[in-house]
Amino acid sequence: MTEPLLSIRDLCVDYVTDRGPVRAIDRVSLALERGEILGIGGESGSGKSTLAQALLRTLPPPAVIAGGEARFEGRDLLALGEAELRELRWQRISMVFQSAMDALNPVITVGEQIVDTLLAHGKATPGAARARAGDLLEMVGLPRDRLAAYAHQLSGGMRQRVGIAIALALEPSLVILDEPTTALDVIVEREILEHIRALQRRLGFAVLFITHDLARMLQFSDRVAIFYAARLVEIGPAAALRDAPRHPYTQGLLRAFPSLRGDGGELASIPGAPPSLQDPPSGCRFHPRCPRAVDLCRQRNPELVQLAPRHSAACHLAG
Amino acid sequence: MMPEAARVTGVAVWWDAIRRDRKATFGAILLALFVLVGVVGPWLVGDPDALVGIPLQPPSAEHWFGTNGQGQDVLAQVVVGTRVSLAIGFGVGLAVVLFGALVGVTAGYFGGRVDGLLSILFNVFLVLPGLPLAIVIAAYLPSGPLTLGLVLVVTGWAWNARVLRAQTLALRRRDFVAAAVVAGESNWRILTSEILPNMMSLVVAQTIGSTVYAIGAQVGLEFLGLGDVSAVTWGTNLYWAQNDSALLTGAWWTFAPTGLCVALVGFALTMLNSGFDEITNPRLQMERAWRAHLLARDQKPTRSTPVVPDHD
Amino acid sequence: MRFLLRRLGFYLLAAWVALTLNFFLPRLMPGDPATALFARFRGRLGPEAMQALRETFGLTDAPLLSQYLTYLAHALRGDLGISVAYFPSPVTEVIATGLIWTIFLAGTAVVVSFAIGTLLGVAAAWWRRGWVDTWLPSLLVFLGAFPYFWLAMVALYVLGFTLGWFPLGHAYGDDLTPGFSVAFFADVARHAVLPIGTIVIATLGGWLLSMRNTMIAILGSDYVNLARAKGLPASRVALRYAARNALLPSVTGFGMALGFVLGGSLLTEIVFSYPGQGYLLVQAVRNQDYPLMQGIFLVITLAVLAANWLVDLVYLWLDPRTRESAS
Repeated sequence: MTEPLLSIRDLCVDYVTDRGPVRAIDRVSLALERGEILGIGGESGSGKSTLAQALLRTLPPPAVIAGGEARFEGRDLLALGEAELRELRWQRISMVFQSAMDALNPVITVGEQIVDTLLAHGKATPGAARARAGDLLEMVGLPRDRLAAYAHQLSGGMRQRVGIAIALALEPSLVILDEPTTALDVIVEREILEHIRALQRRLGFAVLFITHDLARMLQFSDRVAIFYAARLVEIGPAAALRDAPRHPYTQGLLRAFPSLRGDGGELASIPGAPPSLQDPPSGCRFHPRCPRAVDLCRQRNPELVQLAPRHSAACHLAG
Repeated sequence: MMPEAARVTGVAVWWDAIRRDRKATFGAILLALFVLVGVVGPWLVGDPDALVGIPLQPPSAEHWFGTNGQGQDVLAQVVVGTRVSLAIGFGVGLAVVLFGALVGVTAGYFGGRVDGLLSILFNVFLVLPGLPLAIVIAAYLPSGPLTLGLVLVVTGWAWNARVLRAQTLALRRRDFVAAAVVAGESNWRILTSEILPNMMSLVVAQTIGSTVYAIGAQVGLEFLGLGDVSAVTWGTNLYWAQNDSALLTGAWWTFAPTGLCVALVGFALTMLNSGFDEITNPRLQMERAWRAHLLARDQKPTRSTPVVPDHD
Repeated sequence: MRFLLRRLGFYLLAAWVALTLNFFLPRLMPGDPATALFARFRGRLGPEAMQALRETFGLTDAPLLSQYLTYLAHALRGDLGISVAYFPSPVTEVIATGLIWTIFLAGTAVVVSFAIGTLLGVAAAWWRRGWVDTWLPSLLVFLGAFPYFWLAMVALYVLGFTLGWFPLGHAYGDDLTPGFSVAFFADVARHAVLPIGTIVIATLGGWLLSMRNTMIAILGSDYVNLARAKGLPASRVALRYAARNALLPSVTGFGMALGFVLGGSLLTEIVFSYPGQGYLLVQAVRNQDYPLMQGIFLVITLAVLAANWLVDLVYLWLDPRTRESAS
């Protein structure tokens, strides 16, 4: 069996504050195959966005990677030095940021921002780079002349497309989409995601799709992982999680999304609020809000247990 | 009210900053020393106007700072000058902030046309060059501390108006103010119990900055001869030193100590403000703990996220 | 374009305020301004001089509004009255002799200081905790706490008087005639080192800190993060992505500080007997030459406003977002 494209084992990420380290990712393990679309969902602060930047090692201070392993295409991501990271970034793993408005440099043209990516990795001469930048824009559905535009001259959807063009410039094997459509309206959102899927089928890159919009995630992904309070609580095929979720949190989330039910059933939200990561609950982090919690849940933090082929959940009661 | 906001914006956080940040502690001690000299000093030195020796004597055991061009004791001049210069400095610094706050907070709170008009007013005063304006006004009024103070306030208030307006605008949009407005509280009540208390630490920072400005500008105007040249202040000391051609006669002691005092006080005040910034800026705080964490494990800060295994 | 016009309108307004202040200030003096003026100059000025003085201030028997309009008309024609100390030279003539030196001195100093300070600020923010970030800013802040003219005095004393490395004053040697020759320019440069150097050292700290703080904030923004994630070389991230954006608020601050720096440079001129507006100003104060004082105030104000408008032009060039109305 071939090695997965990305394999994370017991990864831990801390934010070091003057009141002590806060664990933002707690012993997370998952694997991603070539060409696979893995959705990562959860509430804000659950750790999903941290994961994306942790892989690229671009988390700003006060973040530190506090343990675990992360292997990508056979290389240990955590052991790479600055120069190797610079080479890896964008050529092998790239990212589309949430709000492309802020992710684009406001004082230089978008064309220049695509071109400098190509030039930085020695992929082309300046002339060839400009031509390729134009090709990339067309690939994401924008006219070539937009190369000379500045970020503020483009609409939100167009800026996001530019972000995608930049992400695909060096033909990476993994593209991380960090809340790519949160700032856009629904119609544009669907268009963009369709477009990404078409590109993905054509070019064959794997995708980590990070979002809090469960419905979109389930529609779009092959497999789905759910984060809660810095832990991975359930992971499995999208269809399986949609039809038969095993973790109470996932079940609660699905009940809160009407579009998935479609039968006028009751909208139920999960009572309570996500816990503070500085002072998490004992045992299972979800137990204060869980309708099925028992004593064991208060005492021991459950590990991921395989319940079906490629479907695991971290719950004492799921087995 | 929000305890978290109070922690960052109340006056108590200043005391915290002074204790915790080295720069602020240093600044506070230095400032205290000068205030002490200003308060007690004049009683310990002789009459600064007295002619005590041969003019332009270099520092000696008898006259620690030597004598000036008139034959007066430079040390006495500097010490007595401290009192007046600091007093005017603090006084004007405070006045400038109060006036700036009056205009800035009004503009920021009421918005609309009031804001438009007041903003134009302080922006104009910001762009007019201060020293020439100060000179022209001071020339028409009788010389003395009142004129000096007036002129300094007229040329210095605009910056504070701008800063405090920005802060008022930001606070105005916050939820707790909107809640008070909806609850029907009077403008006066909202201003005094919701907005102003949350601006206090900024007001203190501005006062410190304005004091630095006031002392510097005061010395500059007096150097030109626009203060009361018969008074003993830091500025007039320098005026007389220049007048008596101190430089060309090599009598450096007649201007060096005074200038040093001005710089030390200004530096102390700036350090206070800088230390306060360090403590209240959350980003700088976070970085500090992070660096300490890395150092403790013999690792250097890197641009990319560092890998610091926790050996549990 | 609209941005520039709006700013121009603002500067015209400020110029008008300056003119109006100039008109009302003499009327600030206790009592009737005309009588007060006469009292001050009694015995010192002949009747023609007194008449000229009255006309400069519009102190005729006409109603206030008409006096004001006459005054404005004179000013717009470039007639700022007759100087008392240099009677019968018109104020504009007296000012013109020194204006170029002030502009040269202050202009060069402020540009050099801003350039160096900004570069150091970028370095301080990029290499946090390096020497550029730790003791250099504190040292420069300390130096900046000294009054400019005091630093000038020290520089003059140490480097001019004691060590003799630089001339003791003036803009050029008394033995040279001004002209477009290399020798003349070299001499001017030699005389300018101390005055410009003083102003640069006094103001460097301010630019450094302001740029450093802005850079630190911008280094945390998303587009810088993306630039790093793209694997761009550090120099490009620091300069084209971070510094280029941090420059914008810096340039805005630059405009606001111009008037302040100019004030300090005037005082510096006095120490070096530099033949600029500073020297004229001192003479005017000493001789109570009100027309000259007010004339200098007006001219300096106009110079600062013009410089501000130039800064706005630069800002327009730097920030593409100001170049058009919202799309």
